[in-house]
Amino acid sequence: MKKTLLLLSFLSIAAFTVKAQDTVKTTSDAPLVIYGSVDTYYKYDFAKRPNIQTSFASDQNSVSIGMIDLGLKKKVGKASFVGEMSFGPRGQEQSIPDALYGSLPAGTSSYHIQNLYVSYDVTASFNLTAGYMATFVGYEVISPAANFNYSTSYLFSAGPFQNAGFKATYAFSDKVSLMAGVFNDNWNTYKSNSGTPEVSTFGAQLFLAPVKGWTAYINLASGKYSGTVLDLTTAYQITDAFKLGLNAARKTGAGALNYYGYALYPQLAVSKTVTFGLREEYFKAKATNSGPDIGIAPGNSVFASTLTANIKAGPLNFIPEFRLDHTKNIDGFVKSDGLTGTKSASQFVLAAVYSF
Amino acid sequence: MRNLIVAMMCIFFAKTVAAQQADSLAFDEHNKYIYYQTVAQADLSKDTLYRRGLYFMKTAAPKSKIKLSLADEAQGVLTGNGSFMVAKKALILSSVGGQITYTLRIEVKDAKYRYWFTGFVYTPYQRDRYGADVPTPGVNIPLEEAKNKVDKRDLAVYLDKVLQNSRQVGAILKSYMLKTSSLPKTDKGIKKISTKEW
Repeated sequence: MKKTLLLLSFLSIAAFTVKAQDTVKTTSDAPLVIYGSVDTYYKYDFAKRPNIQTSFASDQNSVSIGMIDLGLKKKVGKASFVGEMSFGPRGQEQSIPDALYGSLPAGTSSYHIQNLYVSYDVTASFNLTAGYMATFVGYEVISPAANFNYSTSYLFSAGPFQNAGFKATYAFSDKVSLMAGVFNDNWNTYKSNSGTPEVSTFGAQLFLAPVKGWTAYINLASGKYSGTVLDLTTAYQITDAFKLGLNAARKTGAGALNYYGYALYPQLAVSKTVTFGLREEYFKAKATNSGPDIGIAPGNSVFASTLTANIKAGPLNFIPEFRLDHTKNIDGFVKSDGLTGTKSASQFVLAAVYSF
Repeated sequence: MRNLIVAMMCIFFAKTVAAQQADSLAFDEHNKYIYYQTVAQADLSKDTLYRRGLYFMKTAAPKSKIKLSLADEAQGVLTGNGSFMVAKKALILSSVGGQITYTLRIEVKDAKYRYWFTGFVYTPYQRDRYGADVPTPGVNIPLEEAKNKVDKRDLAVYLDKVLQNSRQVGAILKSYMLKTSSLPKTDKGIKKISTKEW
């Protein structure tokens, strides 16, 4: 019995010693990674009807869902892929492409590809990528996990969401890189869909990091079917707590309705779990537009102020948000009677986004 | 016999505790995290140890992992900068938490050398629009200040990874200092077997 006890003691000590010496096994290739997010929200428009026409967070006085976003990615050596799809209103009928463009009625599409591309690092500085990707244009994106504000800007809603194509990116240094590529004839389609389908949109992005913490992207997307978007997206982490972002864009030519505008994004972290941010946006729809662009009549403009907090509890992010929009020339919204026009609209949103 | 068992367990426990104290993160005189080791290397001159240390800095890891930043032969000092990735703790899935950079300093004298890792700075990663995990621009958090800026549970994981990485890199350095050519060579060739004779 004593011998057994002694032996057990030695084995226990040996086991603990071996455990202490354990090291993390590392390999040159990353494992298959699963990532994504889930989001839900409550919105109340003070006119008691949905007034502000930007993307998502659309349902009045309702606890509604955004989407579940599921992504897979893997890199082996120089080759990698990303496949990301979403289920739910934010990722389906509220995004494009919708079933409307296929054979099913609108609102019945079963999923929405967010990213589906393959990529190859020719060298450490030169990368080739092909597939259907989030657009390189603009500050905000479809995924709620990658945006600070839960409601989206007019610039986001009016611009491209995604582009399918082929692009090459060369990094001159960690401060300068250039992307150039050819993309399908129209935005937000899985395939070329003009009368004579073609890969005819040229896209380019110049990335600059002038100083530490400051990133700037100068973007151009131009095609005979999709028109031309010139866009500046920049952000500067001025201190550990304060960040300032800016998006300015102008759309001309064919395709989607034309516009120009800018949005400023100051954000202040007051603790490791709480950050406050403002979005001050000006958006003007071109007078020559054939109809309202995101609810803004041709020639009209809107100034939108959004005060948002991000309150983090681990992977869960609570987003309370108050938004006030005001149009300039023409009544852009409707009062609570549903009939009388008004230049102002305001809403409150409380959203929760879980990222993994 | 029971006393013998208790005594032996006490000895092992004491040794384990002692080993942990000598091989763990500490704070230096500037209140910065440091992993510090002194190693006696009898019969080896300062020059030999310096050359081996320099060889380690240049060849032991890819330049993206450890990069030589200072080589002062007269003073017997080598300094390099390194980095490694850390993951956020999760029950089933783990996600990229960020990158930790550090400074490695090696000082050599006749028959001994010392090295330490310090200057640990955490850069959180964020997921970009393409699903890639990328550094958050402009956010660099010295680990000494991280308790106010990083989730407590994540920070504990990161500090543990700092210790693991320091031990791993330190162990490789020791193998280089013992004998430059003592690096384990892996024979990747497939053995040839003749089936003509048996």
